Amino acid sequence: MSEADSPSNRSDGIALPAYVRATGRIRARFAAHGARTRVAEVYESGGYRLRFPRAGEACEAVIVNTGGGVVGGDDVEIALEAGAGAHVVATTTAAEKIYRSDGATARVKVELDAGPGARLDWLPQETILFDGASLVRRLDVSLAADARVTLLESVVFGRGAMGESCGAGLFHDRWRVRRDGRLVFAEEMRFDGRIDSLLDRLALGGGARAAATLVHIAPDAEARLEALRGALPERACEAAASAWDGLLAARFVSPSPEALRAAIVASVVALRGAELPRLWRS
Amino acid sequence: MWLSPAFPVGAFAYSHALEWAVESGAAHDAASVETWIVDLVERGSLRNDLVLFAAAYRAVEAGDAAALREVDELALALAGARERRLESAGQGAAFLVAVRAAWPAPGLDLFGEGDHAYAVAVAAAAAAHRLKLPEAAAAYALAFVANLVSAAVRLGPIGQTDGQRITAALFPRLVEAARIAAGSTLDDLGGCALRSDIAAMRHETQYSRLFRS
Repeated sequence: MSEADSPSNRSDGIALPAYVRATGRIRARFAAHGARTRVAEVYESGGYRLRFPRAGEACEAVIVNTGGGVVGGDDVEIALEAGAGAHVVATTTAAEKIYRSDGATARVKVELDAGPGARLDWLPQETILFDGASLVRRLDVSLAADARVTLLESVVFGRGAMGESCGAGLFHDRWRVRRDGRLVFAEEMRFDGRIDSLLDRLALGGGARAAATLVHIAPDAEARLEALRGALPERACEAAASAWDGLLAARFVSPSPEALRAAIVASVVALRGAELPRLWRS
Repeated sequence: MWLSPAFPVGAFAYSHALEWAVESGAAHDAASVETWIVDLVERGSLRNDLVLFAAAYRAVEAGDAAALREVDELALALAGARERRLESAGQGAAFLVAVRAAWPAPGLDLFGEGDHAYAVAVAAAAAAHRLKLPEAAAAYALAFVANLVSAAVRLGPIGQTDGQRITAALFPRLVEAARIAAGSTLDDLGGCALRSDIAAMRHETQYSRLFRS
């Protein structure tokens, strides 16, 4: 039953079973040069590309999936490393669509590494789970004691605007965040079976069709709690934030993907004190 | 006995965010209180607690201090909010002090310094004293639910009789959940009680409160 031991998770790219439809890999390393951050090394394969529309104090890294979505059996690995003092803002060109599966599960593995004094913002746009989609995602983050990391993942369940519900499917999002080698935050969000029925339950989604988790780890993270709380929505999206142990976490649920997006944009802007990458504003 | 309200872990001080659920109106009568608790049992923190309980039990049974440390660290990292972490680590510390004083066992020495998750501490004591895993996990689950029901009675939306009825109605589900968890591994972790997590965070700023979580 171990997902981690599945042969499709092999990173050496060989001996993959036939049901794997596509493998995508991105590995990139960023380094600080004075006050600026530049790409030091990049590797791309499969349908995944990395673009760098802006490189100034922070280097913006935009993930492009030329395949236009993810299907069951796809196997994606993304690894980004911000070297000492580097500042990287990673995002995606568009929301990632996870199509209906014919039985196979799509696997996405993201590894983020922030070195001493580095800043790494992981701000992908929404993941849209189509009816019957099956996705297991793993986010492993490692940061130095004085590094700063912001993590955002938002998911939209079904294409409500097209009258689609989100029925039988799987969404399992597993996070492990280690600061200076110690596990400080973990997430095990799992929806399986009739996803829309789960979302309708009182203590689960309360009728939500979109959800997001925002986590910020930094030496001064706890001091940002009031600023973040001040940006949380009063209505249309239910949200709250908490801070402990040098980190800050917020959760959002809403029946409306648009209201959720507005809430997370306002929250991330309040948290970072800077606008989101341009792609988020379109 | 370890899980009775008389055992000095201070369980009565924690509502696991039920206090906010009542304040916000989400849990306002016997049916909604029961629904809220069932969600935690089936898809929320209790489900994960039982998986962690089983992993901690096996680690102590095998005398594996590294595995115990790993599950303990994971249990605390999964807390997800300040008061959730306090609820787990506060009761974990008090439980270990009380058990070591009255029921010492070599298995408990596998714990190192630092904070310990409550579910992990109880599981370790059960394994150290060779109690059976499914029964010990079921006792933990029943204590969790009984504590929430007691909190709901004190908060007002349900009476004593409703409370007993909810506990009785949930009993078979708790035994079944514990039986399933006894055969689980850490790969079976997972939940989606997002509104319960949000309630745990909202409780921090609740104006008038009886509970620490």
